[in-house]
Amino acid sequence: MSDSEIITHDIIIVGAGLAGTWAAMTAGEEKLDIAVLSKVHPLRSHSGAAQGGIAAVLNNVRPVEGTGPRGPLEPIPPGGEAVDSLDLHMFDTIKGSDWLGDQDAIEIMISEAPEIIYAYEHMGCVFSRLPDGRIAQRRFGGHSAPRANYSADYTGHVLLHTIHEQALRRGVKFYSEWYCMDLIVEENICRGIVALDILNGKLYTMRAKAVMFGTGGYGRAWKITSNALANTGDGVAISYNAGVPLMDMEFVQFHPTGLYQKGILMTEACRGEGGYLVNSTDERFMERYAPDKMELAPRDLVSRAEQMEIEEGRGIGPDSQGLYLDMRHLGEQKICERLPQVRDLAIKFAGVDMIDAPVPIQPTAHYSMGGIPADSNGQVIADADGTHILGFFAAGECACISVHGANRLGTNSLLGASVFGRRAGRAMAEFVKDGADLQPIHDDPLQRNQERIKHLMDGDPASNNHESVSRIAEELKGTMTQNCGIFRDEERLANAMRKVNELQERYKSARIMDKSGRFNTDLLEAIETDHLLTFSEVVVASGMARTESRGAHYRTDYPARDDEDWLKHTLAHKEEDKPKLSYKSVNIDWEKFPPQERKY
Amino acid sequence: MANCSFEGQSVTVRIQRFNPEVDKKPRLKEFVITLEPGTTILDALREIKNEQDGSLTYRRSCRHAICGSCAMNVNGKNMLACNQPLKDHLDRKGRITIRPLPYQPIIKDLVVDRSVFWGQYQRVKPWLIPPRDVPEKEFCMSPEEVEALKNAEKCIMCGACYASCQVIGLNKRYIGPHALLKAFQRILDPRDSAPGERLADVAGDDGVFRCHTIFNCIDACPKELNPTQAIETLRKLAQKRQAFDAQRRERQKSLINSAPIMSAERPGV
Ligand SMILES: Cc1cc2nc3c(=O)[nH]c(=O)nc-3n(C[C@H](O)[C@H](O)[C@H](O)COP(=O)(O)OP(=O)(O)OC[C@H]3O[C@@H](n4cnc5c(N)ncnc54)[C@H](O)[C@@H]3O)c2cc1C
Ligand code: FES
Repeated sequence: MSDSEIITHDIIIVGAGLAGTWAAMTAGEEKLDIAVLSKVHPLRSHSGAAQGGIAAVLNNVRPVEGTGPRGPLEPIPPGGEAVDSLDLHMFDTIKGSDWLGDQDAIEIMISEAPEIIYAYEHMGCVFSRLPDGRIAQRRFGGHSAPRANYSADYTGHVLLHTIHEQALRRGVKFYSEWYCMDLIVEENICRGIVALDILNGKLYTMRAKAVMFGTGGYGRAWKITSNALANTGDGVAISYNAGVPLMDMEFVQFHPTGLYQKGILMTEACRGEGGYLVNSTDERFMERYAPDKMELAPRDLVSRAEQMEIEEGRGIGPDSQGLYLDMRHLGEQKICERLPQVRDLAIKFAGVDMIDAPVPIQPTAHYSMGGIPADSNGQVIADADGTHILGFFAAGECACISVHGANRLGTNSLLGASVFGRRAGRAMAEFVKDGADLQPIHDDPLQRNQERIKHLMDGDPASNNHESVSRIAEELKGTMTQNCGIFRDEERLANAMRKVNELQERYKSARIMDKSGRFNTDLLEAIETDHLLTFSEVVVASGMARTESRGAHYRTDYPARDDEDWLKHTLAHKEEDKPKLSYKSVNIDWEKFPPQERKY
Repeated sequence: MANCSFEGQSVTVRIQRFNPEVDKKPRLKEFVITLEPGTTILDALREIKNEQDGSLTYRRSCRHAICGSCAMNVNGKNMLACNQPLKDHLDRKGRITIRPLPYQPIIKDLVVDRSVFWGQYQRVKPWLIPPRDVPEKEFCMSPEEVEALKNAEKCIMCGACYASCQVIGLNKRYIGPHALLKAFQRILDPRDSAPGERLADVAGDDGVFRCHTIFNCIDACPKELNPTQAIETLRKLAQKRQAFDAQRRERQKSLINSAPIMSAERPGV
């Protein structure tokens, strides 16, 4: 086509959140030609919404002696004894993952954590401080020591701005408001992408020696979600369509404290700072589910406890689907100093000031543990043997490295996105410097995508049922919430699969209203809906096959963890338009961290 | 203005539409929706886009006032669409009028071209320039030094202030409240090594002395920040630029060398 062009770079990174930007900045030190694409302006990336903190063992604080593990925190004085260790952070992460996390990758993430925090600090990130000037730390769910480093409750915002600025300083080129539609892989070698310049609607083939995805999570397939509207799992769906497998897609984290009916996040730091969860009878119900860790048990467990309370009739609100997060006992000063943003959110969106009243909350779809399978250098793999998809890298929430296994601990994902983003950046730079070259493209991916757009604009000429895409998206979210949420079983999952397949069929004759080339958000939302449908099918299929309960995947018909049959990663390949499942072993240090019962 | 009596009833949302590729000039289009409890302005736009006119165009992402995408002009005032209840902005007849942010070329409907805005952001070198030597661990900033940056670091670059600044309306070369706030953040940060250079730049022709102290930026800011105060601080510091620079060099010496030694071990080992 006449308005098509080819753009070439050494390295193309899709995604300008923490993962993509770390990669760009790191590779950018090597004087390579690097471009970053983002469908929203880089500073609008979802990393900026992270609130509570980023994990690392710094040993700056400890509980006051004699007050037990839940006691008040104090700075560790010079020469004082450390309370935290890398091994403890590792153990917490492994246990949190319900032993599905790969322990070699977890070790890397946790040992590089302190250094990455100091790197952020040296680049200008403003962390909250102790009186002596060291970085302050707080508790987080599933962590047995205070190791969440934070900037009040807008940690992600500060990290994202810091790293974006530093990438600008190093001259990284950003394609802001460009949408990646397709990944070009032929014979297990990645050759580039197809992208749309949102401003004018032009399509480009973009060739590169290495491509990386840092496209973020897929929480938008659920009705109640903490995720930004942009978190539509584009990267995972695009990869899957290009023949890359997806790993552990059934594991989706529900966060215990989304604002009631809105899903907007009330950070776990609320509970880290001491908030209570109570039901309609005024009971702190976590006593019955996790007597030791209480509200600070890991998220899968707390969300299940909440859902149990709701299903047994102890919920609050007009539809009884809510519970209360009670912060009143913390007092005005602590709330205003440590949690100013969430206080404001509760006032704005729920009409409740947490200083004087409990906040209505409910579980909200939050984090995608599954994604594009990659090794600890972000190198994407094609199968259980670890065959490389040459020149294709992934990091951040869209990737499954897998450090979070079946359930991620809070504050570990900003960490994972940063550590593995940086490692992927280094690995790509080496790959290119070692002589990787541009690879020829034999297919016509540009035309394929032009047709896709044309089809959405014209609708199916053979059909006169031109449905709106937004209705399909809404129905999908309904079924995923109802049938593929916190509690799952054979029947619900089968219902979900039927519905997803029906919606996929209906999508074929859907049509958009905006036919213009310029800034066509109608078109973008339609393509995003296609992506939602694509990965949702994989989530449901993977969940149906896994007849056990592990981490965030809970089957009421198979309530126990089954290490004998299921201590393995799910891989899903697209074959004849359907997900074909296979499995991959988990990396476990059987001496040091063998599987145990998971109790809190 | 706030009026709860419209809940469950029809309300009128008037939106300025414009696609410069096909339209001669912008026009207001009316949409009628039912006001559900808790509806934000952004919810209303989404409903209109989903149910009535898919071509309605605006930016949005986080939908909770942190990504900075959705600033627009509502009944003549700039604000975020996502954290404002629709009912708070209805007039007595149940109407609201939404336009794009002023002073910037319109790309389509409520989406404006922010090139100049981002250009000014880049011009002030938003990145920290750390000293050549850095401590092994963190710079031990005092809680007061951290506190002083609060006014700036929460900025989400939504542009509500920029598009309410009358100086910007007259002179696009003016650096603008958003970028001056960023410069303030860097200049006040004890870790930054180039406060003198930065002060020289912001005290130039297009900088802090252009501000007419009209305070529109403060009213517009959804994060309750105070760019005017930051600009005033920069003005004062610019007068004693060299002394400030020297002070910074002194502070950095202690900042790098005074890191408390907490134990002989490395963290976490
Ligand atoms: C409300 C909330 C609070 C959180 N709080 C915490 C916390 O306190 N601690 C913690 O550790 N984790 C937290 N998380 C999780 C954490 O924020 C994310 O996992 C992490 O930021 C993901 O970073 P990322 O770089 O992978 O992706 P993102 O930051 O989501 O960035 C994705 C990027 O990809 C781009 N992109 C996507 N698709 C396309 C496409 N098709 N074309 C072009 N560009 C595309 C986007 O524009 C964006 O730039 C939180 C998550 C949420 C939802
Ligand atoms: S949508 Fe992010 S600030 Fe409004």
